[in-house]
Amino acid sequence: MISFRNIRKSFGPKQVLKGVSFDVQDGEVFFIIGASGVGKSVLIKHLVGLLCPDEGEIWLDGQEISKFDEEQMYPVRRKCAMVFQHSTLFDSMSCEENVALPLRKHKKLNARQAIAEARRLLDKVHMAEFASRFPAELGDGMRKRVAIARALTLDPTYILFDEPTTSLDPINARRVDHLIRELSNSLGVTSIVVSHDLVSIFTIADRIVMLYKGEVRLLGTPDDFRNTTDGVVRQFTRGLAQGPMDI
Amino acid sequence: MEPSGLEAIGAAAIDLFQGGRDLYSVFVRTLYYTLRGKREPGAIVGQMYEVGNKSVFFVTVVMGFIGLIGIYQSGTQAKRIIPDYTLLGASYLQLLIRELAASVGAMIIATRVGAGIAAEIGSMVVTEQVDALRMCAADPIDFLIKPRFIASIVMTTVLIIWIVTVMFLAGAVTAWSFFDVPFRTFFNFSMVKTGDLVIGFAKCIAYGAAIPVVSGYCGLSTFGGSEGVGWATTRAVVNSSLAVVILDLMISTAGFFIFFSR
Repeated sequence: MISFRNIRKSFGPKQVLKGVSFDVQDGEVFFIIGASGVGKSVLIKHLVGLLCPDEGEIWLDGQEISKFDEEQMYPVRRKCAMVFQHSTLFDSMSCEENVALPLRKHKKLNARQAIAEARRLLDKVHMAEFASRFPAELGDGMRKRVAIARALTLDPTYILFDEPTTSLDPINARRVDHLIRELSNSLGVTSIVVSHDLVSIFTIADRIVMLYKGEVRLLGTPDDFRNTTDGVVRQFTRGLAQGPMDI
Repeated sequence: MEPSGLEAIGAAAIDLFQGGRDLYSVFVRTLYYTLRGKREPGAIVGQMYEVGNKSVFFVTVVMGFIGLIGIYQSGTQAKRIIPDYTLLGASYLQLLIRELAASVGAMIIATRVGAGIAAEIGSMVVTEQVDALRMCAADPIDFLIKPRFIASIVMTTVLIIWIVTVMFLAGAVTAWSFFDVPFRTFFNFSMVKTGDLVIGFAKCIAYGAAIPVVSGYCGLSTFGGSEGVGWATTRAVVNSSLAVVILDLMISTAGFFIFFSR
């Protein structure tokens, strides 16, 4: 289980997170939603130590991890993989080398073993035939699938998805949604998804938290969000240009 | 609210101190990974090609012309005072080995190599590739800076030896063309002492180490988007050149006391 407790974070004079607290249960597909710049990506980067909170605690499976140093974070990053917004594959490496890197660094496999395992994982996301291609030669949807294969290399318990369907066409977006749901159903992986994609949110989410002005506005199931009377939440989840939201 | 004059000076001093501390930390970690980390010969050879082979044409042209102009100006001045060119080649070679080739050459190398390192690493920072590396348990210092550090030390030394050769040959041709100095007279190695060679070699190593560390640090501290990458690149060139000048002063001073003060 993951617990964020009273997380505060500022960048210079701008306070992005103003005391965010919620729990994520094992095995669920948990969405973090909110307007651009509200601190959704910032929040999930705290979980894997890419950012440190100014205040507050982060608990992962009974361990407080917010004060961990870089090396203490390595086991946390094995447990929590992350798929970044723009896939962030390494330009200078082929797809199979990209997927093999965490296997070489985390699992200490040699190059040949890592590449063999990488090809198996690429096959899992239907990218085996592009294994030797470089990221620049692939489309957005294909890069995203390679990034997901890379995230799966270490058999993570948790996967963090930062806007996984942004910049994808609707078909590829629904394929990615299906993959996220499938990971939860078949492997028991807990997924935390940062997204604006309303279709994804109401199709695959088990629970949703909405951040607004650096605080939790509403936490609940998709039905809670559909039936809420909160004007701010209604405006966001219905994609209305006019309403009480101050953005 | 804008900070007052004193506050602004204080803030700048704190920034400078923090920057110096972070740069020192990058240098120490680079040394640690170079001595203790896993060797990746492929990555090092690739960077040697980038730092060395791809710089050869640029440094040859630039330093060749500087050598040509340098000996022309020296010869013109000498003609006015003591029209004797017998030691022109010998003193020029001593100056090249002890000072000119390494220091000016390193600044030229910094403009090409330092800018490239900062731009590449800076772009990786703003596109979150460095975060992705950290997620893969690959320390960016180990993965990005260490291969460039080793490659730069080796290839900066090789390039500076090449620069000495190019500048000396360009000087010899200039001296023969404009002042009728025979090649046999110009090719005079009598003034080059062991101390000159040690100082020149120490500078090659120091500059070769400083350029990737300073540029890599500038790249890793990039923030913002493409504008941030531009700033990082500019800072890399300026700070690398500054590092070369400071190291030059330190090594020359130490060299003077060790080899030439008695």
